[in-house]
Amino acid sequence: MTPDTDPAVVTLPVLPLKNTVLFPHLFMPLSVGRPATLAAVEAVLATEDKNLVVVAQKDAANDQPGVDDLYAVGTRAVVKKMARGDGGVELLVQGVERVALLGAEQTEPFLRVRVRPLPFPDDTSPEVEALYRSVLELAARALELSQGGEARINVAQLAAQAPDPLRLAYLIGSMLSIEVAKEQALLEAQTRAEALRLIHGYLSHEVQVLGLRQQINSQAQTEMSKQQRDYFLRQQLQAIQEELGEATPEKAEVEELRRRLKEIDLPDEVRKEAERELKRLERLPPIAPDFQVIRTYLDLVLELPWKKRTEDVIDLKAARQVLDEDHYGLDEIKERILEHLAVLKLNPGAKAPILCLVGPPGVGKTSLGQSVARALGRKFERLSLGGLHDESELRGHRRTYIGAMPGRLIQAIRRAGVNNPVLMLDEVDKLGHDFRGDPAAALLEVLDPAQNNTFRDNYLDLPFDLSKVLFLTTANALDTIPRPLLDRMELLRLSGYAEEEKMQIARRYLVPRQLKEAGVTPEQLNVPDETIRRVVARYTREAGVRELERNLGRIARKVARRFAEGQSEAVTVGPEDLSDLLGSERFRQEAARKDLQPGVSTGLAWTEAGGEVLYVEASLLPDAKGLRLTGQLGAVMRESAKAARTYVWSHAEQFGIDSDLFRHAGVHVHVPAGAVPKDGPSAGVAMVTALASLYTNLPARSDTAMTGEITLSGLVFPVGGVKEKVLAARRAGLRRVIVPRDNERDLRELPEQVRREMEFVLAERIEDALTAVIPGLSQRLHLTTVA
Amino acid sequence: MARDLIRLMQSFFPAPSEASRLAAWQPAVDVYRTPTGWLLKFDLAGVRPEDVTLEARGNCVTVRGVRRDWVVEEGHSYYRMEISYNNFERAVELPCCLDLASLTTDSRHGMLLVHLRTEAPR
Repeated sequence: MTPDTDPAVVTLPVLPLKNTVLFPHLFMPLSVGRPATLAAVEAVLATEDKNLVVVAQKDAANDQPGVDDLYAVGTRAVVKKMARGDGGVELLVQGVERVALLGAEQTEPFLRVRVRPLPFPDDTSPEVEALYRSVLELAARALELSQGGEARINVAQLAAQAPDPLRLAYLIGSMLSIEVAKEQALLEAQTRAEALRLIHGYLSHEVQVLGLRQQINSQAQTEMSKQQRDYFLRQQLQAIQEELGEATPEKAEVEELRRRLKEIDLPDEVRKEAERELKRLERLPPIAPDFQVIRTYLDLVLELPWKKRTEDVIDLKAARQVLDEDHYGLDEIKERILEHLAVLKLNPGAKAPILCLVGPPGVGKTSLGQSVARALGRKFERLSLGGLHDESELRGHRRTYIGAMPGRLIQAIRRAGVNNPVLMLDEVDKLGHDFRGDPAAALLEVLDPAQNNTFRDNYLDLPFDLSKVLFLTTANALDTIPRPLLDRMELLRLSGYAEEEKMQIARRYLVPRQLKEAGVTPEQLNVPDETIRRVVARYTREAGVRELERNLGRIARKVARRFAEGQSEAVTVGPEDLSDLLGSERFRQEAARKDLQPGVSTGLAWTEAGGEVLYVEASLLPDAKGLRLTGQLGAVMRESAKAARTYVWSHAEQFGIDSDLFRHAGVHVHVPAGAVPKDGPSAGVAMVTALASLYTNLPARSDTAMTGEITLSGLVFPVGGVKEKVLAARRAGLRRVIVPRDNERDLRELPEQVRREMEFVLAERIEDALTAVIPGLSQRLHLTTVA
Repeated sequence: MARDLIRLMQSFFPAPSEASRLAAWQPAVDVYRTPTGWLLKFDLAGVRPEDVTLEARGNCVTVRGVRRDWVVEEGHSYYRMEISYNNFERAVELPCCLDLASLTTDSRHGMLLVHLRTEAPR
């Protein structure tokens, strides 16, 4: 049978395939663009049955393959569908059977070849069946590996797709990504067994590769460092947030800051700086350390009250009422505050004064600040300077430092939320200073109304106007305050309270407050004035009222306990009940010495805790020379003792003193209590009195206390703390006090009742004092002056 | 037993002549119950009657054939092709034995109608 006469031989147009092989039974979409192939497709479409031969090219790069460039075995196929696209044709072809290419019938305009079907021999055998099954198994394994354990196609589906071994081989061959030569070998297989063996080989290779790949994948996964993992998770989180329409928290923060910046009213310079920082912030990744620094800074800038202020409520009457409500007495200070209010009323732009409240503890300095704020209708902020020894605590750290913060002043302003609060700087006398700088020096700028309108905090680095702030400072003593600082402040002294004042304070404020604290009503507990007076006198010794309040609190609590335990009738605490409630009296009435022997005089001292009675004792030192001073006396006091001796010596004749005493005996002056350091010139009068009494052997009056500085020429100079001293003398039961004449106006500060009770001797010269206190001396003086 | 196995395997593997038929397209079919038996309506538009063979064996009716395209007019070329040409084959199983059935065909509007008379009209 020659090829020409063999009826199985047909002539068909050829469609050359690059890179792949079409197997019988399988569908393949094809895109045709080459002119020769297009011509072949046209010819096929014009036929009745749409048959053609699809053959793989040996070389994919060849654009015009001849019959020799094609493999010798191809697949007869039928065009199932076609559609024309732009410039080419899309085809869906289905393989029918494999054919052998016998030779070219035509090459132009397209290749047309004679082909003969190439059927398989009937080689059904148990080997084929066995191969078929193991290929199925392998295929299942490959599917499992490639789909990560969740095979979408299982073996049953695969078997249903390819019910005969050849179709299985072809299906798998088309699914595997193997090169053209291998696919072609599969197509050319002589027998079914050979085809299955080939595909088995390809598959096992594939399974191996897939297994290896999975191993590598899992290894790589475990090796991926934690950092990478975090990074990926973060990226995913960000992606999720973006998907949800939520910006990242950092972005949202920046947006929030921008919004606030837009809304807030800022001075130009500040706005410019804030915008500059915000721009920097936007450029930074959120993990950069600077991000938080800038964010915190901007937070501060936006929160500071650059232009926000409270309106002053200036009603002098109401202000007076507020001050009186909160504090008893303290008229001078109230006056000063009302004066300032009046000034503010007339000139709202007035610079605020800087007031310094000086006084012993517990007299109400801090609470006075609060009432001032209340009277003015301003916010009140307080910052304690006690123990502050670092300048940057006050002025902040520069932002370049890690953990930098604004200083306390700016923080206080931020807390206040307005730029005109009443700012109380507590304990200004307890500022420390060391190598880190002197906070007092920093305060100089703050407290100078001329320059504090451009106060520059190191952290903020922008000028902030503090000139509208009403600064109040408090101090217990002035001697530790540096001069320049003291110079900037207007001093207001709060002296200790007299017994009468304490009484009033207790009645008006302390008793009601302590009753409330203890949960007792005024109807249940009555504390008569005598009781308070007893507590003041016998249980406390202080200039302020803290201890008094504590004791009243103790009384209230003890009585509260009785009520809690079931008592129902009201209680009145009389003075006689106090020993039960507070224990035995802690301070004996400072018993003034009844009789003074010659050489002893009663002085008065001022301490931070108020006034105190102080005795000066002098004694002759037979067979010794000079002046011995004991009792922890300071330099000023020692000099004052020397001056006193000199004065007495120089007036020996006048006082009728035997001058041998000076020549043959020294003198010792002691001021008890020996352990308490004492200083100051105000004991001068007492020293002179003690020495005069010693040398004349005339005792001084024991009911008379004295204070005053002396000069050699016999003048008596005024001293400070007269009020406290007089009160101390009164507490001690002394009813007569010698004060320098120049201190007369201070006596007006004393409560009316005290002034009525006490007798004051105003001394201009030492003689005035001496005659008043040493009864026998006046006659001698008189005699000598007459003589 | 061994023979059974071989027969089983043979059922997997169609004869070589059938290879091309496996790639054949399948025409759609409607099946009607009639008073005397069955009516099958095959969608075989464009298929010449002489290209169709019909076989009834057991409970299965099989239609095979080929749809040949023709040139509607000279000079036309395809822009889109969706109709399947070439070989087709469709087997329809019915719930009764058809070996003794009488079989007539007729074609109407491109549909091939196959009448199967299995019982006398009542």
